[in-house]
Amino acid sequence: MPDAEMSSVEVTPAADAAESALAYLTEMSPDLRGGAILGGDGAVLAASNSPNRWREDAAALLEVADRAGAEPVEQVHIATEQGEVFALRHAGLAAVVVSERFALASLMFFDMRSVLRDIAAGGDGKGLDAA
Amino acid sequence: MPPKPHRVLLDRVSGYADEAAAYMRRRRVSRLPFARLYYSGGRAGDHAGDSLAGAELFVAAGRLIEVAGKRPRP
Repeated sequence: MPDAEMSSVEVTPAADAAESALAYLTEMSPDLRGGAILGGDGAVLAASNSPNRWREDAAALLEVADRAGAEPVEQVHIATEQGEVFALRHAGLAAVVVSERFALASLMFFDMRSVLRDIAAGGDGKGLDAA
Repeated sequence: MPPKPHRVLLDRVSGYADEAAAYMRRRRVSRLPFARLYYSGGRAGDHAGDSLAGAELFVAAGRLIEVAGKRPRP
């Protein structure tokens, strides 16, 4: 990751846990192409690449999703010919990932929720106690 | 003469595998793009690609797919 882009990633204990969580998600989900974990203010805690792009594009997705309904969205699942996008808000954090087509949504959301819950609880982001 | 027990087991496993493969093939063929939003309390809603919200969701998702790129090879 370029230095200029690194500066846009928060450096906090939660960010360390988020990095760990993203690595864990990537390891656990063979279909996962990339993703990001964002804090409550929309700042990127961890991203697989290009954190600035993830921050902007994840914020855009969540904004559009919120506008589509009468209340803030909790989960987003969009399947396209090119891949699938999953977004989840939990405990003031958000996780957005992109996977290959036909990924199992229930498992993906379960893993995402587990790691977000773990980060929010001050854990190492691997969600082991949440499973 | 009845078939040997291990052949019965093999046939049964092969049958299940064939069923699963056929199910996955049908799923791939029939599954069209969709945008589904879930809200607290378990409520969910689909947005068609030709609606305004659906179109915006697909555009936003496309940008994220572009950022993610291809899965890195191990």
